[in-house]
Amino acid sequence: MYQIITGPLLWLTFVVFVAGLAWRVVTYIKGLDWKLDRVAYGTQTAYGVRGAVRSIAAWIVPFGSQGWKVKPIFTILFFVFHIGIVVTPLFLLGHAVILNTRFGLGWPTLPMCIADTLTVGMLCAGVFIAVRRVALPEVRIITSLYDYTLLVITMAPFVTGFMAVHQLGGDYKFWLYAHILTGELMLLAVPFTKLFHVVGFFLSRGQLGMDYGIKRGGMKGTNMAW
Amino acid sequence: MPEGKFCNRTPVNTQEDLDALLADKGGKQYYEEMEALDVDVPKLAASLKNTCKSRTSTWLEMCAHCGLCADSCFLYLVNDRDPKQVPAYKIQSTLGEMVKKNGEVDNAFMREAMEVAWSKCTCCNRCGQYCPYGIDMGVMFSYLRGLLHSQGFVPWELKIGAGMHRVFKAQMNVTDEDWTETCDWMAEEAQDEWPGLEIPIDKENADIMYTVNAREPKHYPEDISEAAILFHVAGENWTVPSSGWEQTSLSMFAGDWEACTMQVKHVYAAIDRLNPKRCVGTECGHAHRATVIEGPYWAGRPDGLPPKPYMHYVEWLAEALRLGKIKIDPAKRIKQLVTLQDSCNYIRNHGLKEITREIVSYIVEPGYFVEMSPNKEHNYCCGGGGGFNGIGRFRKQRNRALMMKRDQILATGAKLVLAPCHNCWDAIRDLEEEFKIGIKWSFLKPLVVGMMIVPEHLKPKEEEE
Repeated sequence: MYQIITGPLLWLTFVVFVAGLAWRVVTYIKGLDWKLDRVAYGTQTAYGVRGAVRSIAAWIVPFGSQGWKVKPIFTILFFVFHIGIVVTPLFLLGHAVILNTRFGLGWPTLPMCIADTLTVGMLCAGVFIAVRRVALPEVRIITSLYDYTLLVITMAPFVTGFMAVHQLGGDYKFWLYAHILTGELMLLAVPFTKLFHVVGFFLSRGQLGMDYGIKRGGMKGTNMAW
Repeated sequence: MPEGKFCNRTPVNTQEDLDALLADKGGKQYYEEMEALDVDVPKLAASLKNTCKSRTSTWLEMCAHCGLCADSCFLYLVNDRDPKQVPAYKIQSTLGEMVKKNGEVDNAFMREAMEVAWSKCTCCNRCGQYCPYGIDMGVMFSYLRGLLHSQGFVPWELKIGAGMHRVFKAQMNVTDEDWTETCDWMAEEAQDEWPGLEIPIDKENADIMYTVNAREPKHYPEDISEAAILFHVAGENWTVPSSGWEQTSLSMFAGDWEACTMQVKHVYAAIDRLNPKRCVGTECGHAHRATVIEGPYWAGRPDGLPPKPYMHYVEWLAEALRLGKIKIDPAKRIKQLVTLQDSCNYIRNHGLKEITREIVSYIVEPGYFVEMSPNKEHNYCCGGGGGFNGIGRFRKQRNRALMMKRDQILATGAKLVLAPCHNCWDAIRDLEEEFKIGIKWSFLKPLVVGMMIVPEHLKPKEEEE
């Protein structure tokens, strides 16, 4: 069992994840249409790239945009959640050990206490994000079961991983297997669900940035105050 | 009933049809017919297939339902935070459903979508600024309007408006003859006070070709005369085209893209014919959007630019003041609290935020200018944008929408509002009528005409005794 889920299944997951996201990027870019979108992507590219970079930069930095500034609590939840998701698995000691034993790769790691803080922070933020969906009428009306499902899929590997690492909940093997499988499920879900915003954020934010960088003022020398 | 006499999928292309539609007062029969108008599902599905490409489908699919767009929408805020006014909800329940069902929607759905598209969004594009993904629901509502229009589900006034562009190449049935006669009349009237003033029509190779909003010749001809006076004093070599002078596009509000293309190509043809160095358009937001920002794309210009540099009036005025072509008498500067309305169409959507403030720095005594909050590209719509001002059926909703601008203005304490946009100007006039807050509002032209220094050689000569 362990051999399969950390061997062929893991590789399959990586392939689907990478190829799926590549497919997302390619179809998005191929589907851009300068006439329908009314943005001269092809002829005013330098202005477009400049606009795209500004637009992405304003939103990827905490409190970098007006939108983040007017919603400080959500912004904190949002960044704690996302930093936890991205940073923890990439630099977790346990993951680095696997890389080292299998491929001999040296990999930077986080001290366990930081990894724990990020994980617990991310899980708490996730719970608050779920509560927010119920509590705020303006969020409730647009929330569907799909949104909760994605939250569960995203948080599951972190709950199970935390249990396994700290040998909580008794059966270590159960939590370890559950962690591997839910992790794979999440990665597999990314290209096929809204989780494709892993790349989609950059594409979509970049596109609106190009729109502003080319058509809506960028060529007048104005910087949009995102 | 598949299609009605007035309410149908065919746009108005003849004066006869236009007159008939106008005769249906208030669109009474039109809206009755709409209740029975069938949806041409194969046509709608084909439109979606051809035009709903990756940008739009990604926007619809990826929306995280986070609700951050709610507070960005002034219509959500002025309607007591009604969750049904959350931009993401509005677009998902209309365009989103239509796309999900691949056009398999019924008459009731389309009528509801029409109400949302024209009474719950002014296409101000503010939500796109506040969405982490940059999902611009204003752009999507404009797209939805196009789909609804192609199926005949469009407010009566806007079907007429787009028809006007198709028949007259101008809104408000102003003909080219009406236009040139108004120019001649205005020039003649002004000549007593401004000897030598002309409104040159169809002059080739001028430095500036000037274009207007048809309501100026129709209702506010003094606006044309003020423009002429300012060009005259600034010593500009300018002209107006006898045809292709109308810069607005109600067809843009209607989602009638074919008419948009016809209209903007007509203006560009005048540019080709007269070969001016550059063009200047009047103090109108949507006219600028239609002719300068979106127009190049409708006309199929790959560089996304009009055939010649095309300035909004505020750009020309700022330049004239900066270069000293027009000088302001310091004694006549505005010495009362004054605020400025940022038009979505050329501030948020064309980056002219500093230009209007430069003008303010010349015409307002320091210390008297008060910014609205929020302002510049974060400003709220006047309340009447995107065609909202002109739709009788949604007048109640429009009047409520004005409350945001009312409160913004009241908070400044200013009693004068600079409104260099026809649409904003109208909305502010209507909000004063509706709420009586005791303000005045003005375009820039009349203010500048009243406070500029007139060079000696342009003054009328004293008659010899």
